[in-house]
Amino acid sequence: MTSTARVPDHLDDDGLQTVTLTVNGSERTVAVPTHRTLLDGLRDEVGLPGTKSCCAEGECGACTVLLDGKSVNSCLVLCVEAEGHQVTTVEGLSDDGLTDLQEEFLNAGAVQCGFCIPGQVVSAEYLLRTNPEPDEVQIREALSGNLCRCAGYQRIVRAVQATAARRSER
Amino acid sequence: MTTAPERAIEQRDALGEPSDPYPQGQVGRPVLRYGGGDRTSGAQRFVADLRFPGSLQVALVTVPVGCADVLGIDTTAARAVPGVVDVVTAADLPSPMPRFGVSHTDRPVLADGRVNYHGEPVAAVVAKTLDAAQAAARAVRVDHRELPGVYTLDDALAPGAHRVQEPSLRPGHALADTNVLEEAHYAWGDLEAEEARTEVVVEETYTFPMVTHFPIEPGGTVAVPTDSGGLDVYSPVQHPYLLQRTLASVLGLPLNQVRVFAPDPGGGFGGKQNPKLEPLLAFLALRTRRTCRLVLSLEETFQSMRRAGCRIAARTGFTADGALTFHHVDADFLIGAYADVAPRVMGKGSYVAAGPYRIPGVRIDARAVMTNTTPSTAFRGFGSPQVSWALESQLDAGARRLGLDGLEIRRRNLVAKGEAFVRGESAAAADGEWHQSLEKAAELIGWGTPLPPGRGRGIAVGIKPGATSGLSQSLVRLLADGSAIVYAGTSDMGQGARTLWQQIVADELGAPLDQVSVVSGDTGTVPFDLQTSASRSTVFMGSAVLEACRDVRQRVLALYAESTGVPPEELEERPGVLVTPEGELPLPEAARTALGSLRGEFIGQGTRRLRGKGKHPLGGDAAFYEFNATAIEVEVDRETGELLLTRHVTVSDVGTELNPLQVVSQDEGAAIMGLGHSQMEQLLLDEHGRIRNLGALDYRIPTFKDVPVELVSAAVENHDGPGPYGSKGISEGALLCTAGALGAAVADAAGVVIRDLPLTPERVWAAIQAAEAAQ
Amino acid sequence: MTEYHRPTSRADALTALAEGGARARPLVGGTDLLVGLRHHHDVADVLVDLKGVTDLPEPIVVTDDGVRIGPTYTMGELVSHPVIGEWYPALVEAALTVGSVAIRNRASLVGNSCNASPAADTAPPLLVHGARVTISSQDGDRTASLDEFFLGPRRTLCGPGELVTRLDLPRPAPGSASAFRRLTRRRGVDLATVSVAAGVGPDGGLVVGMGAVGPRPLRTAVPGPVDLTDDASLDRALDELLGVATPITDVRGSREYRLATLRVLTKRAVLAAADRRDPREMAS
Ligand code: FES
Ligand code: FES
Repeated sequence: MTSTARVPDHLDDDGLQTVTLTVNGSERTVAVPTHRTLLDGLRDEVGLPGTKSCCAEGECGACTVLLDGKSVNSCLVLCVEAEGHQVTTVEGLSDDGLTDLQEEFLNAGAVQCGFCIPGQVVSAEYLLRTNPEPDEVQIREALSGNLCRCAGYQRIVRAVQATAARRSER
Repeated sequence: MTTAPERAIEQRDALGEPSDPYPQGQVGRPVLRYGGGDRTSGAQRFVADLRFPGSLQVALVTVPVGCADVLGIDTTAARAVPGVVDVVTAADLPSPMPRFGVSHTDRPVLADGRVNYHGEPVAAVVAKTLDAAQAAARAVRVDHRELPGVYTLDDALAPGAHRVQEPSLRPGHALADTNVLEEAHYAWGDLEAEEARTEVVVEETYTFPMVTHFPIEPGGTVAVPTDSGGLDVYSPVQHPYLLQRTLASVLGLPLNQVRVFAPDPGGGFGGKQNPKLEPLLAFLALRTRRTCRLVLSLEETFQSMRRAGCRIAARTGFTADGALTFHHVDADFLIGAYADVAPRVMGKGSYVAAGPYRIPGVRIDARAVMTNTTPSTAFRGFGSPQVSWALESQLDAGARRLGLDGLEIRRRNLVAKGEAFVRGESAAAADGEWHQSLEKAAELIGWGTPLPPGRGRGIAVGIKPGATSGLSQSLVRLLADGSAIVYAGTSDMGQGARTLWQQIVADELGAPLDQVSVVSGDTGTVPFDLQTSASRSTVFMGSAVLEACRDVRQRVLALYAESTGVPPEELEERPGVLVTPEGELPLPEAARTALGSLRGEFIGQGTRRLRGKGKHPLGGDAAFYEFNATAIEVEVDRETGELLLTRHVTVSDVGTELNPLQVVSQDEGAAIMGLGHSQMEQLLLDEHGRIRNLGALDYRIPTFKDVPVELVSAAVENHDGPGPYGSKGISEGALLCTAGALGAAVADAAGVVIRDLPLTPERVWAAIQAAEAAQ
Repeated sequence: MTEYHRPTSRADALTALAEGGARARPLVGGTDLLVGLRHHHDVADVLVDLKGVTDLPEPIVVTDDGVRIGPTYTMGELVSHPVIGEWYPALVEAALTVGSVAIRNRASLVGNSCNASPAADTAPPLLVHGARVTISSQDGDRTASLDEFFLGPRRTLCGPGELVTRLDLPRPAPGSASAFRRLTRRRGVDLATVSVAAGVGPDGGLVVGMGAVGPRPLRTAVPGPVDLTDDASLDRALDELLGVATPITDVRGSREYRLATLRVLTKRAVLAAADRRDPREMAS
């Protein structure tokens, strides 16, 4: 028995596509092959490795970014699809220092190994922007696409609740 | 407004926790995680985030079966792919094939003519881009003949079964011609005599699935050849010094030529302890004289680490009033194609197969059985969750027969502090007030209070031996301005070790918390640490850091005496201060005075060594035991088998909480991870030994929505541990007996006893169906 | 070299699809397509991104007769649309189980249907609600009921060069209602072991859409009235409704378990739907 597979023919450099997108407020132009995901484009071409890769198939949420303000799995978006769009990564949530949400993650003990955390923070930020006073059930529902193997789930819920409380005091 | 950590602590105070035992200091406070800011902002750099300009990318070549002879490898098409630099097969590596391993030197750098598990690399492609490497890897033609591999315990133990390991790898070993890699036997008391006074005997068989670590960081390795012929290797490992030693030995290099950088693992759980693909990357880098980088996919991670499955046949006796009389266990651990640390998992797990109970007659026979599957390795709990599942279920079975409840039967059998639970030559006695944890868990779950129909409760306990030998060395530098740097080789994979070092140094040297930094993850600058495993770091490295701080203080005292002329005998050093005839001086101030205008610094060294005992089956007495009591309340949907966990309580005997916030994080995390193997996780294989649920889509781990409606983590603090300030290790406790508690709760709720994990909806449903049909 | 097209007109999109033939795929959310490409299960090398097309049917149009959904309407938009929630509650319940929030922000309802997974969560409620699709190509448009549209696992009436441009949902008759139930291995995001949507018509007739119990999503109906207060008559109706199910055993569940729980879930969905009917509008 022999195992072989098709060799994709997208390896020649002239297949590169030029993509211009806005990342964390600045316009960026990258040249990528069509099959390159937004996740890899952000990490490797734009140089923002805060967004993480785990499952590469939409199951873990580690790669969550905001695309035109909506949370998406950047492993399931092609770089070329982002042409002309706005992307916000974890690095772009704040210009300076930590956001209140990030602070509450720390305060609540939600951060263990930290690998899932950028994705959690982006998903939680999206939740709070779309539903400023979520209850616990809604928080769990909204974040259920973000896996944490350190399983800081209850801590993260507390962090989101604390942030919501802080924001409502403002 | 109170801050979240205060709330976490208030919550614990409400549970009756003793409050901060060190009101003045940082130890005992919910200090925020060291490096936590970078972890939330995205600035933390994991191995895949490091940039190595000009590095080559590596892709692995595998065959689509679990066991095969490799007849030939044609790399022509692969080499023709633009950008490919090299395609390396076993023929390109030294002969005989270099092998490595922690308990047996059995694992080849690349498959050596024989594929022993699905995913074992037979070749590696090195290319300028990842696209090219992956395309070329798919273009490598591997002629192979599938062999009748063994994928289950029954396959492996059948007469005439395919032998996973070449007998020549275990020359002269009595079991070399079988698939049993090692055995462990423990026995005490007279089982026959005990059985004679036994009222009820429970005899059942239990299974525990193969599960995988599924760290959210799949991991990877980068090997960089140095100008001097050595290597710098970046790998997110728990044991950088073991990796250094392994690489030096397979490459024939001195230790100082192999420098291991260990970026913080994005979750380890035991899976990132031992070397796996790093030796291959090292050879590739030396061969190509270029930096070689391999970042694993999650699927490849599944194929490189897992927990041993287990089948346990148990026979257990009870007197009429519920006292255990004997416990006879046959435990077969389903390990993988290479030993890794699996024999030790089997040996250490089965050592506590009789649990924390007073049992006069015990016989434990355990085997590590090799199969053509992913090598099993350390995984949080290290063999204890498997044996605990069987034992705790046996206790509940006995209780049901005797009309006792789960709490009462444990009360009657749990050992008191100082009482032996392992007897015989290598005895072990309880090192904590374990009853307190049991009672607290019962109280917090509301044991004995009425429940709505369809709900049930279960309670269980678990123990796990901590490290049985170890060596941690640390350096602490107190700098001229009163700030400090700690060098400690513990890998911070989420447990937050560095935070503890920071707290300890702040208290011991009087330095402000934010002026204590920690250096780790570099064998070139940080002194030796044996391992980050077995929840040892607080006890071992914590003690080494504490000792290094004392060393610093003594040096401050000596130099202060020298530079001020105050006789040393009139000085005294205490945590944070130097006591002088004029009164207490904050240590940084005393240090400044002592150093004078030349400035400089103080360097303290600390070592914590636990020597093993040659004859002890575990290599030595455990430095401490992790003890946990878990109680679960569950609602069962009888028509679909779905479980809803309405309340889950975990109580760990922690000695002293050095950082309550981190204790809560670890404890809740372990509890939920325990629910994974109890409810949903299992690796499923097909008839070719391939993982059917390879990847996140069909291998299910708990999500936010799978967390129990209420999850309560509490601790018992008696300050009775061997670590700094009476601490013990705590990171594994809450998953040791999750399965037992859940199984008992399901039995209580639905009237069915299930002995095979995980308790999937389908399993629960099938058991209810069978029970209803039997009625 | 994978070709990527981002046409701005429907005509250009259809041309690109026609030229690409069997190796071309329309791309909207990409949440299934990219997974397929990653695993090399899908060999597409012409991707036609519809998100820039300006003259496709609007994402959603509500009329007195029902709702028309265009190819770019996402699950995320759907679950929060008040009219969809009122008229097609089972569809919202089902859409809420499709992946995570981030997936739903990307995945399109039409794409999910075209993907024709036997376990597609939105298929059962769409079948119950009598969805019809419009399939367009350079040769023109044709329409089909969704039930006709699904041919088999990942096979539909939509062939090479064709595109589903519209999905129509008729407005439910007064006095009818729907509900959705599903079974998974864990509570969080998961693929369905079994899913079912049930509709109760104004006359008390039942219609059921089923997922993950056959090679394609299935639809069956029994005429009304079915007396739901009578166990025997409900059981008879279930026998009739569920006879078409032919589940297989796979990693998600055994055939036996699927059959048994299909019945349980269908019953629950039927009763939940019945509970939702507005008594003032019921025919009987
Ligand atoms: S990496 Fe994108 S969802 Fe897992
Ligand atoms: S913090 Fe480790 S995976 Fe979430």
